[in-house]
This record gives sequence, structure tokens and C-alpha cells, in this order.
Amino acid sequence: MAEYKLLTKDFGADGLQTLKGYEKVGGYQALRDAFKKFTPETLVAEVKTSNIRGRGGAGFPTGMKWSFLPKDVFPRYLCCNADESEPGCFKDRYLIDESPHQLIEGLLIASYALQVNTSFIYIRGEYHDQRLLLERATEEARAAGYIGKNILGSGFDCDVIVHGGAGAYICGEETALIESLEGLRGQPRLKPPFPAIKGLYGQPTVVNNVETLCNLPHIVQRGGEWFKALGTDKSAGTRVFCCSGHINRPGNYEMKLGTPIRELLEEECGGIWRGQSLKAFQPGGGSMQVLLPQHLDLPLDMNAVQEAGSSLGAGAMIFMDETTCLVDVSMRLVDFYRHESCGKCVPCREGTYFESELMHRLEAGQATLAELASLADICSNMDGRCFCPLGDTATWFVMSAYKSFRDEFEAHCGAGRCPVRAQATALVA
Amino acid sequence: MTAVAETGTPPEQPDDGRVGISIDGRELRVPKGTLVLDAATEAGIHIPIYCAHPKMDPVAVCRMCLVNIEKFPKPQPACATVAGDGMVVRTNIPEVTKIREGMLEFLLLNHPLDCPVCDRGGECDLQDFTFRYGPGISRFPITEKVHFKKAVPLSEHIELDQERCILCWRCVRYYDEITGEKEIVLQQRGVDTLVSTFDDRQLQSKFQGNLPEVCPVGALTHRKYRFVSRPWDLQRTASVCPECSYGCNINADSRDFEVRRFASRDNPLVDDMWLCDRGRYSFDRWNTSERVRRPVVRSDDESRDVTVAEAITQAARRLREIAEEYGAASIGVLGSSASTNEELFLLERLARQVIGTPHVDHQLEPFDGISAAEHELGIAEIEECDTLIVLGADPEEQAPVLTLRLYKAERKKGARVIRLSSDATAADAAIAASGATRIGLIADETNRAHAAAVATALGAVGSVRRLTITRGINGRGAKDLGLLPNVGPAYAALAEPGKNGRQILEGLASGTMRGLLMLGPNPALEAESELLERAVRKAACVVAFDTRPGIVSRYATVLIPGHAVFEKAGSVTNVEGRVQRIRAGLPPASATPVETRVLTTLAGLMGAVGWGSGDPLAVNRLLRDESPAYGRAGNGGRALFTAEAVA
Repeated sequence: MAEYKLLTKDFGADGLQTLKGYEKVGGYQALRDAFKKFTPETLVAEVKTSNIRGRGGAGFPTGMKWSFLPKDVFPRYLCCNADESEPGCFKDRYLIDESPHQLIEGLLIASYALQVNTSFIYIRGEYHDQRLLLERATEEARAAGYIGKNILGSGFDCDVIVHGGAGAYICGEETALIESLEGLRGQPRLKPPFPAIKGLYGQPTVVNNVETLCNLPHIVQRGGEWFKALGTDKSAGTRVFCCSGHINRPGNYEMKLGTPIRELLEEECGGIWRGQSLKAFQPGGGSMQVLLPQHLDLPLDMNAVQEAGSSLGAGAMIFMDETTCLVDVSMRLVDFYRHESCGKCVPCREGTYFESELMHRLEAGQATLAELASLADICSNMDGRCFCPLGDTATWFVMSAYKSFRDEFEAHCGAGRCPVRAQATALVA
Repeated sequence: MTAVAETGTPPEQPDDGRVGISIDGRELRVPKGTLVLDAATEAGIHIPIYCAHPKMDPVAVCRMCLVNIEKFPKPQPACATVAGDGMVVRTNIPEVTKIREGMLEFLLLNHPLDCPVCDRGGECDLQDFTFRYGPGISRFPITEKVHFKKAVPLSEHIELDQERCILCWRCVRYYDEITGEKEIVLQQRGVDTLVSTFDDRQLQSKFQGNLPEVCPVGALTHRKYRFVSRPWDLQRTASVCPECSYGCNINADSRDFEVRRFASRDNPLVDDMWLCDRGRYSFDRWNTSERVRRPVVRSDDESRDVTVAEAITQAARRLREIAEEYGAASIGVLGSSASTNEELFLLERLARQVIGTPHVDHQLEPFDGISAAEHELGIAEIEECDTLIVLGADPEEQAPVLTLRLYKAERKKGARVIRLSSDATAADAAIAASGATRIGLIADETNRAHAAAVATALGAVGSVRRLTITRGINGRGAKDLGLLPNVGPAYAALAEPGKNGRQILEGLASGTMRGLLMLGPNPALEAESELLERAVRKAACVVAFDTRPGIVSRYATVLIPGHAVFEKAGSVTNVEGRVQRIRAGLPPASATPVETRVLTTLAGLMGAVGWGSGDPLAVNRLLRDESPAYGRAGNGGRALFTAEAVA
């Protein structure tokens, strides 16, 4: 098999969700090692050495993010971003579901490295069961002395608070997450100041993704150099890819970075379903640009995918077969952004609405060619003009699909119905 | 700086705390920390914006102010970008034009475009910027817009139109940042976002009237101004709010000879552009048709309308008769805290120098132990204090806008604001203020004596500066100019203090005093109507200026129509001693010359020489020559009296 299991190695082990089960597979040994082998400074250095990049979507080097914290300003806060809401993304839920303690251990290691005494796990509102699971796990860990005062006799104190969101995609944006955590309306904050300088409650704050933190026990145990050697030059380690769409075996697959996408599709996902062929795919979740079959040989490497005009984003692979109407997909994605726009800035609030109304007309075959041209212009008035990336990314898929499938978009104009769907229906009949 | 040094061009500028920035080719140097938006304004370049407000922190949500800045990958919001040295900003390029057209197209997607029936039409930023920067057409193919509620009353003063709202957040931030209250919130999200009050509650704030002014469009409007006028039909008169002594600068907007609204006129040293509702919505008080319109002379059994000339002649004759028969000290002279400095200046001279009576006042109660130190702390200087002590609820009830300045000191400067009950002991105050270094003590006229004791106790903690909230638009001017029985102009000590207002009225009522010269309207006297009526009915002679029919106009021996505040020019002095001009904006209710002219003529008839024409401006010059503090204050400065000049 092409999978390389690091984070998911023990998944499925008996009672892994409980402390006992986790300890049985060597859980919390990394935390002990961290206290024993590292000072906070050397631990930050080790994470820098590992070259790990954030798994939340932007791919920012974690060690560098940590080093932006001003020295000697306390308290500092660490927030685990578990507000996984990207369309097509379900890896964080999987990581929490299978091994909540792995996340807590990672969180504690990061807290130690950053000298944070209060850490938060901000979990998506809809992840109700996962929140309960994490709450139970933190209770267990607290009772066992992994959370609280003087953890394992190290002299280090850390509390972990699990906080559920109220169901807003925007709260995955780190400053909106902080606002929401403070009990305010979930909307991004003006930067600068960046969270590392003034974040939660005005204090230096680091926000890290679930998967990023889950990597930390392994970096501590196996060393930064080992981790760095895993994967490619610019993309170290593994990533859990959420594969969905028209494939035979949808699911989460942990892959060594650098593996060709084709291997993921053909070996793990079992190829495109019903013997059909691939029309297009989205490599990073709903926000990212569409890629074509010829891109299947790209390695799973953040830079390589970026050079092809898209991004690995949060690691969600959505595969679409030949019956897919790209206008339809665009419409659905735009509707998502319209629904999730927080309303703070004009181009996102009004632009996603404009886009969505146009896309509905286009998909129904009612739009004119002039309207299609205005769609592109409206997207250009949004991209790079919005307050936060939500509004920018609301245009990326549409624009890339329009570029790659221009004929299909134009064929919708004045057609009175969706021509692709009409064809597909005819095919099935 | 580095960029310039690298290219080897001009020699390095000395570090003067400023940075050099170029906007559309215009080079200028601005203080470090200046926002690009403000730098552009300084350079005379207009950048359209909705969300930014000069008194609030930037939020960068409307995206109208996006500009091109060299070396930045994306357009940057001018309202939230700090000018850096060597920064090259462009606003006059196609990229920026397209951004503005795009944003306006977005903003108008769901805007009802009901400008013809919108109160804001003519002074609306959305309308103005659309004309100036807008795309001219809409490409939106859907005719049905997203609808929200219109004409929602938020309180007795404010109406909300959610469709017109462009969600700039200014109203929400106004509450967060300016008043510290929480009344308006954002609800829902995305295109369904709307501003509203939580749970549809009514607004409670004392400062709601500022909301329509911070709103850049017609979403929040004054209910009292609904469908009243277009802005271009209003005549605007710069003035001072007559409702209290704080001296907030206003524009009195009138149409068809009636005041239609008070609008704020930013004076950062006084009001900081905010008005209280009590002041703002008091404007219709000045539109009353109940006015004294003709001079009247009365004898025991008859009352007749006379010419002004005759009224003045009669006034002079009768006052002289009283003085000759009973002595000048049988005449009392009462000014008013509603009069201008010029009027009060003449009245004081008339009383003490021409008539020769010591019985001069402008209010009823004694005002003992007055000291210039009571008025030392300036309004803007409140922000310099690290601890502010407010004695009792009265100061903030008398001058509500003070509350906003206190909150600003608290929020922006981290000052401690301590509100003590009016009977808190000096020792309590000293304990509350422990750790303070620069203390501001704010009290009211009614507890000034106590405030003096508190100030002494606080002196052991840190340096103390005091502010006493006076009553009436010009209560402070009346005191400065000596309209008090115990001190003369500039708080000069008097050998023999005269009678205070109450003693004068009681003297008249009991017959020990005979004559009264009064400048009305005088709210302090009107509040004691029973005593006032007994006094003016019993007095042998009452020469009175008044604007409205009432006790005084009914019984005055010589009644001279007065001018209301918006009918005359002059200056008034606010609580901190700031001398500010008022101007005539409405036609007077009568043909009588202004009070300063009448008083000058009257003084001339009573033997005074060299008083000039009595034109308010000429009197003002005279006043400034006579009073060094007022000479230094000029127009808009503070009249400050040295501590030695204290009685």
C-alpha cells in the first residue's frame, strides 16, 4: 500500500480513545521525553528543524510561527484550531475520533515549548460528539496528572479548555477564532497586530491546526531531523488526505508528502467509480483551484501543487468524474461562501451574493454571455480586495473552472437548462 | 529612509519624528504613525471611505479606501495602513478606479435607492461617492433585492432603516468606543447581516443623537428631522449649544426662520464632536411664537406700547429718580447666565460705575469663597489626568457630554474615573484616589465648598486641578465679568460686598429696596416664580429686558424686548473659561436693537461717556481691552485668571 502511517499508525487499536488504550501504545511517552530531553527553547528549535508546515491550509512553517512570540510577554495562549469546516475536509474529525489523546499530548508539548499555561481547543460546533470525546479525554488526562499543576513533576503547569463553536466556517480563520473564543461575534480581526503579538485577550497567541499538533509527539520522539527527511524538501512529513467525490473508496489516507497524487487516487481510493474517467479534481478543499487529469502526476507537495496553480490547502481531495458539471459545482461552492460570509467587509458580503445569484442563473441556463463576462469581473473585484481570505477564496474555484472549462460555462448561456446534466441524463438512459 | 540612502540620492533627513511619503506624486512629511488616509487628506487628495471615522479606531471593512502602495502585493486600506518612510501611494490609477467602482456596485446591490424620500439625500456619502466615483450602471441581473425592515423606531429620537444601511459599523463602534455602552449590535451574517438593537430593545443612551451623524448614509435618522428639510434649504449658523455651560459647538440649522436641528461642529478641545440628546433636541424651544415684541412702559394704572427710544428714556429717568430719592443702593441689578459676555460686561459697568449700586448678581444663591482655582482644569486636559474624581451625579447631569470625555480618558489613556457620592468625605476621596499623581476633581456649583475641602485632602495624594460645572450657557462669563455681589470683574475682591440675587428680590418684596434693572431671560429667577412675582410687583421701578411673556413682562415698569440666543451676535464663556462666539442666525422677534446697543444708550442717558456705539463687536473689543484674561483668550481661547486674583 502507498499509505505511510505515522499519525494514524495505531488507529483502530483497542480502546485508543481512552487514556488506558492510548498509554498502551506508548501514549504520553513523548510528553515525558519533551520534559526530560528539552527545554522550551530547544523544543522550539527542534520543531524548527523538523520543517513542519501548518496543516490547516496556509502551510506556514510552524516553528517560524512560534518564534514570532515576543519574549517575556506572559501569559501567552495556544489555541488548537479544530474548527474544520472546509468543504470536503474531515481529517481533523478523524484524528480526534480515533485518538483524542494524541491531540492533547501534542497540545501539551506545544504548550510546554511556548510556555503557555492555558491552552484551548476550539472545536467546530457541529462536531458535537468529538467535543464530548475531547472533554472526556481532557478529564482523564487531568485526573492522571497530564493536565494541571506540575505536570509529571516537571514544574510545568497547563490547563486545557475545550470550547465549542456555534457553527461558522469563518471561525476557522485564526483571528475570527480568537474573537469567537472571547465570546464576541465570529469575525476576523484587523491585522496587524498579528495574534502572535496581540491575540486572545490581547496577549501573544499561537493558533495551530489539529493535525499540526498531532505531529508533535512524533517529532519529539523521533527527532526533527528524522521528520525533515520524511517527505520532500519543502514539505516534510506526512499528511492525512480526505478523499471524496466520485471514487470507489472515499476516506482518510495518510500519505508521505511527495507521493504522486495518482498513487493516492488509484491505490488508496480505488480509482474513479463506475469505470468512468476523471474530469477534474480539487486538491485542497472547497477553496482551492481546480486541477485536471494531467496534474495527477504531481507529487503531494505543497510547492509543486502551488506551482500548478492550486494548493494542497487543508488536504481535502475532491475527485469529479466526467459527468460532473463544473458550473454546478461552482454554484454549490459559491452558495457555501455566500452562506458563510461573515458580512464584515463589502466585497465578500455583497460579492458572494452577486456571484451566487449569477451562478444560479448560469446553471439554470438563463444567464447571458454578458453576465458571464461580468461574473469574471466581479470575481476580480473581490479577489485580493477582501478583509480576510474567505472572500478571496470564494472566487478561486469559479475562476479556475471558468478558465479551464470555458466552453462548458459558455454553453450554459442561454441554454435554458444545464447542458452537461442533460447529456449525463441521456447517457444513463 | 533606507530606500533613499541606497539610491544615494538626497542626504538623510534628520530624525524629526516624521516620515516622507509620496501620494499621487505629491511628496509630504507626516508624523510617524499617521495613517495613509490622513496623510492623503493633508496632501489634499480625497480618498472615499465609509467605515473610518476620525474619532474611532480603523476597522477597514468597507474597502472603499483601498489604494495601490508600491512593494505591497495587494491593494491596501488607506484607513488602516500606517505611512512608512519612502512609501509610494497611488490613488489616481485605473486599478484604484476599478476598485472604487466595484465596491460601489456591491454597496448598491441591495440598497433601496430611495434617495428621493431619504432624509439624508444631499448629505449622504453613498450618494456623493456614487456620483463621484461610481460605475453609473448596475450589472446585476436580478431586480428583486434583499429586503429588510424600514423605518424602525429605535427610541423616541432615532429611526433605523435597515435597507439603507451599508454596514460600516460606525454606530456599533460608536457605542463601543465613544460612550462605552452597548446598544446597537450586528445580527445575522453575510448578505443578511443587519444592525439592530439586542432583543429589539429601545435605545437608552443619553447620546443617541450622535448616531445619525456618525451614520454615513440614511440608515439612522433623527425622528425630529424626518421629512423636514433638504440640507441645501437649511441656513447654517455656527453657534454654541445653549442648553448648558459645557459650550459644545453646534451648527444651528434653520429654515423658514425656524431652527430645524442642531448639528455638531467638531471642537476637539470641548465637545470632540459629540452632543448630548438634551442639548441636541432642545432646538425647537427656540421656535416659540410666544415672544415679547414691543417695548412697554407702565405706570400705576396704565400700560402702553412705546417706541424703543421712549422706553430707554423712561428707563433712564425712572432709575435716576429712584437713585435720587432712595439712594443708588436701593437699586438691584441682575444679569443672567443666558446673556452674552458683551451684555454682561456693559451691565456690570452700568450697575457699579454709572448707577453706583453694589447689589449686582446673576443668580439667586450666594457664591462665596470663589476662586479661580475652581476652574483651572480644562476639558481637554481631563485626558491628562491619571485619576478623575467626580463628586456627585450633578456634574454629569448638568453637562452630559463630560461623561464622554471621562470615558475617553478611561479608554484611550487608561485613566481611573472615580465617581463619589456628593457627600463622600474628603478622607474617603483621598483613600479612593490613593496612588494617583495627576488628579482631576470635578464638582458642581452646589457642592463647590465641599469640593474645596476634598481638593485640599487630595493635595496630599497628588497634584489636583479642579473643574466646577457652572450653570447656564454663560454662567462662567457672568462670574468672570463680576456679576456677583462679592467680587468684581476678574474676581477682584470688593471692600463691601453687595446683596445676592435672593436678597435683592427679598429686599424689593419687603420694600427695603426700590428699583431693579434686570437682563433676562433668567432661568434661575424664573424657577423662584413666587418670590420673583412679589418682588417685581412691589418694586417702584423694574427695568427689564426679556424675550418671553411671563411674570417679568407682566409687571415691569419698563419692558424692553430681548433677543434670543440665535438672534444676536456675541461671545459666551463655557465652564472651563473658553470664550466662544455665537452668531445671529434667525431674524429677531422685535424691531428693538440688540441689548448691547440699548444698554449703551441707557448708560449714555444716565451720564456715561465714551461707551461707543454699542455694536456687539465694538463692545467685545472694549471688553478685551478691559479684561486682560479675555484679551488673551481672544476668540476660542480660554480666559484664565491667576490664583492671586481671588476673593
